[in-house]
This record gives sequence, structure tokens and C-alpha cells, in this order.
Amino acid sequence: MRVLPLDRLDPGAGGGGGRLITLTNASRWYGQVIGLNDVTCEIGPGLTALLGQNGAGKSTMLRLITGQLRPTTGEVRVAGMDPFANPEAYRRLGYCPEIDNFYEHFTGREFVRHLARLAGYSASESAERTQRMMERVGMADRCDKRIAGYSKGMRQRIKLAQAMLHDPDIILLDEPLNGLDPVGRREYIDLLHELADEGKTVLVCSHILYEVETMTRGILLLHRGRLLASGDLRVIRSLIDTHPHKVRIESPEPRVVAQAVAGLSNVVSLGFSVRGDAVELQVHEPDKFYDTMASLVLDKGLRITGFSSPDNNLESVFKYLVIDA
Amino acid sequence: MEAYIFTSSLKEFTRAKRILPWLALCILAALLAMVWQRLSPDSTAGERYASVSSMIVFRMVALVSAIFATAIVSQEVEQKTIVYLLTRPVPRWKLVIFRFLAGALVVAAIGAVGSICASLGAFGGHFLSNDLLLKDIFAMTFGAFAYGALFLFVSLLFNRAMIICLIYAFGIETALPNLPGDISRLSIYSYLQAIAEHPSTSSPSQGLNLAAGDLGLNTLTSGAAIISLIFLIVACLGLSAYWFTKFEYVPREDAE
Repeated sequence: MRVLPLDRLDPGAGGGGGRLITLTNASRWYGQVIGLNDVTCEIGPGLTALLGQNGAGKSTMLRLITGQLRPTTGEVRVAGMDPFANPEAYRRLGYCPEIDNFYEHFTGREFVRHLARLAGYSASESAERTQRMMERVGMADRCDKRIAGYSKGMRQRIKLAQAMLHDPDIILLDEPLNGLDPVGRREYIDLLHELADEGKTVLVCSHILYEVETMTRGILLLHRGRLLASGDLRVIRSLIDTHPHKVRIESPEPRVVAQAVAGLSNVVSLGFSVRGDAVELQVHEPDKFYDTMASLVLDKGLRITGFSSPDNNLESVFKYLVIDA
Repeated sequence: MEAYIFTSSLKEFTRAKRILPWLALCILAALLAMVWQRLSPDSTAGERYASVSSMIVFRMVALVSAIFATAIVSQEVEQKTIVYLLTRPVPRWKLVIFRFLAGALVVAAIGAVGSICASLGAFGGHFLSNDLLLKDIFAMTFGAFAYGALFLFVSLLFNRAMIICLIYAFGIETALPNLPGDISRLSIYSYLQAIAEHPSTSSPSQGLNLAAGDLGLNTLTSGAAIISLIFLIVACLGLSAYWFTKFEYVPREDAE
């Protein structure tokens, strides 16, 4: 496997000055299986995305940072402390896990208040913080219903509320946008930006590239337990975009579409789908191609029923960054 | 914070869903003591009480302890809610000890209710005249803490701890007190028998004696039993606090 040298990207685009989270040659084995392989990185204030496919080691990395697991080798530090079973570290950390499990008999308010009490706040302080968090995550009007009746999106908001309630410097979120509707996603992402703007270190796990692109430029890219790249997502993007990019255009008149796009300078190759209902292209500089395509559709009245780019996903990033020997 | 861990756990362990089945079993103990009178009219109220208490109430304490003790950590791991507890700024040992105290207190209360119910069934309106009642409640309180501490430690050591705890509660606790020699000292029930000081009922039915754990020769004194159980409770709790602080508790499929 060939790995993209890290110096091709801008290290540290994910954060500013003081690095609150540091991993030094951290590895974690589960018996014979490696979950995280010799990862070294620093994460500072701002919004950083931890990007990787399922099983890449994202959740393992978050569990190491949150002190649920110990590294098999190497070192993990949170604000200079070993986080494992360390209450001092937990005062600085807020964690929103991927799991969808709760004390289902609680209402959302009871759940968050319970965790506030466990964080050491008095009853009145807990109630006040809970109310503030419920308002912040947009659950103030729904938090007195039992969690058992909550939608996935409501559960995500409650998890975020419990992660923020003790005003931690570091907030870690594992796949937080799962189950949120588009409006909910927008609100959630805006809230993450607010937290980042307040100077907090926000680390978001995701396996969906476009989701991350709407959130932040600072990324850590994990693949099969290894840190493949870190830095600015746009740099990775521009590197990928110089390579031929697959585009599929569905139309009831595929030949008319093919005739219209064939002469474009970015088009490298052109063909038809097996069923004959789509044109399949390879293009350079896909963003420029999309702009040209929009004009073509308007000017020539092309009938397009579907437009997709199979390369516009995380897999294509890995294909580019990792070449299997 | 300690008070909150304790009271919130107490609230959790006294939820109707958790506690009603055990209260139903207490009522069953009362009914059995009443029926016993009809089946064996020559038996005294004290004998009827002692038999029902040994066969039902003491067994119930072991069973409830197994269920409540495994709920302290194991159940949280299985339901994956452990992550919320472990990422709070609270020392792990406090979580485990104060949750244990709440659970053991509830088990002791259930044992006390069971004893009162059995006494009501055997003695009727004069149930407070039962000389064994207070000693039984005292023994069962020790039992709740001893079983709870042991099962808690087991639940921190093994996956699927409930099965091990139930085997101990029903298998070992039934078999060992009936065996000759000192092997019965591996059973917590033998110590509870010594504290409760039940008179020998010597029922004509060997099966009933076996179920009541009356076949063996228990030479333990009450004082020695109390000291032994205190040692067991302290040792198991200390080990549990240490273990829970030192080792990882991540839901199994998440750790793979």
C-alpha cells in the first residue's frame, strides 16, 4: 500500500494554537485485530473532522481520547493528561457517542439532568444547565417526553446536549449527523461552528465526505487504522480533481446529451450505460465541468433525469490516496 | 455527588418494574406458610416460618442480589449506556460503590419484607411475636451485602456474569450447605444460617430438608459468621473498586 506523504497536505489546518488532544504513536489492538495503527497527531481548537470508512478506526480513536480504552502502545493525552478513568480529563471533555442507547424510561430532560448531577452540579444548577442546553439544541419544547418515543434526530440532539452541558473545552462527536433531516443537519452544523468559534476543540467523526465538506476544511483521514493524511480537505480535493472523475448523466435522450458534451475540453472519455439510459463520462476538473453542464442544459434544453458522480465520495479519496500493490 | 449516585441508584432499583416481581414472591411466601399449616397441622408456627424462610426468602435474597448486582455495571455494559457513566467527571470507584450500596439496601429491604410476609403467613396476626424474625432480617441484611459484593465482583470479571451468579445462587447455595465437612463454608448461606440460628426443623421430607439446606452439619458460630461475611464484603468491594478503575468496560461488539 502506498500512502500519500503527509507533507503534501497542510498539517494543522484543523486547528489553531494550543493542541488539547495529542496522540503519539498510538496503537490499539483487539486481540489479533488492529483497531488503530501507530497514529500520531495533534488536534487543537476549531472544528476538525475525523474521516474514514466504516471500520477505519474512528470510533477506536475517539474511545482512546475519551479514556474508555487504553492504547496498546503509544500515548494519548488530553489537555496534557492521560484520559483513562481520569475525572479531571472528563471535566474538559464532552462526548457524544455513536450508540443510540439511552435510559429509555427517562425523558430527555431527566436524562440530561441526571448526567449533569453526575458531573457534580447541584440540583438547581443541573436544572438550569439542562434547560439552557435543551434550548441550544432545539429540544426545549420536546424534552419532557420519554426518550423511548424520540426520533433518531431528537436522540442526536439529546446526545449533543449531554456532551455540552458541563461546558467542556473539547467536544467529540461520533457520527452526529446520522438520522437528522436536512434542516436538522444545517442547524446541527451551525451549532458545531458556534462551538468552534467559541474556541472549543470540536472533533467530528464521519464516513460521509460531502457531510464533512459542509462542516470543515480541517480533516484527519483514517484508513484501516492508519492516519493517512491530515490537513485541508480542499487540498485533497484539488489533488483528486486533477485526475479523471466519473460522471453519470441519465436522460431519455442519451445520444443528444452525448453529442452536446463530447466537444467539451474537460471530457476525457465518453460512453453509454449498459441499459442505454445514461451517458457515462470521465472528466478533468469536475467543478468546471458541472458549471459548463448547467449552462448547456439551459442553452440547449437538454432533458436530464439524473446526475451523479460515483467518484464524489470517500472511496474515491481513498482510491487516490492509497494504491494497493 | 456521592449522595446523588446513591439516591439515583436507589430510585432506579425501586422502580415498580424491578421490584414488583419480588413483592409478589414475598406474598407467595406468606401464602405458602399459610398452606403449610393445612398440610402439616402438627407443625408449630415457628417451624413453618423457619421452613418457608429457608426455602423461599433466603433463596430470594440470593436471586435478587444476582440480578441487582449485575445491573450495577454488567447491565450498563450490555445496554451500552455505560459510556455515559464512564465519561462523567466522577471517580469510577465511587460509581461502583455507591450504586452497590443502593442495590444492597433494596435487596435487604426486599428480604425484610419477605420475612415479614412469611411470618404473617405462619403466625397470622401475632407475626411480631416470631422470635426468629429480627434475627432473620439481620441475617438477610448481611446476605444482601455479601451476595451483592460477591456478584458485583464476578460481574466485573466475566461477560455473561448473570449465568455464573445464578448458578452460584441456586446450585452452590443449595448443594454446599447439605454436604458434610467444612466444604459448606464456601457457601454464603451457611454463614447466614449461623447468624439466623434457625432451630433444626428436621422435616420428615428429605427433599424439603435439602431445599432448606438443613442436611449438613453447620458448626459455625454467629460471631464467626458475621466476621467472615464482613471480611468477604470488604474484600469483594475493594477488589471491585480496583478492578473497575483499572480495566476497560466497553460494550463487547464495540470493542471488536
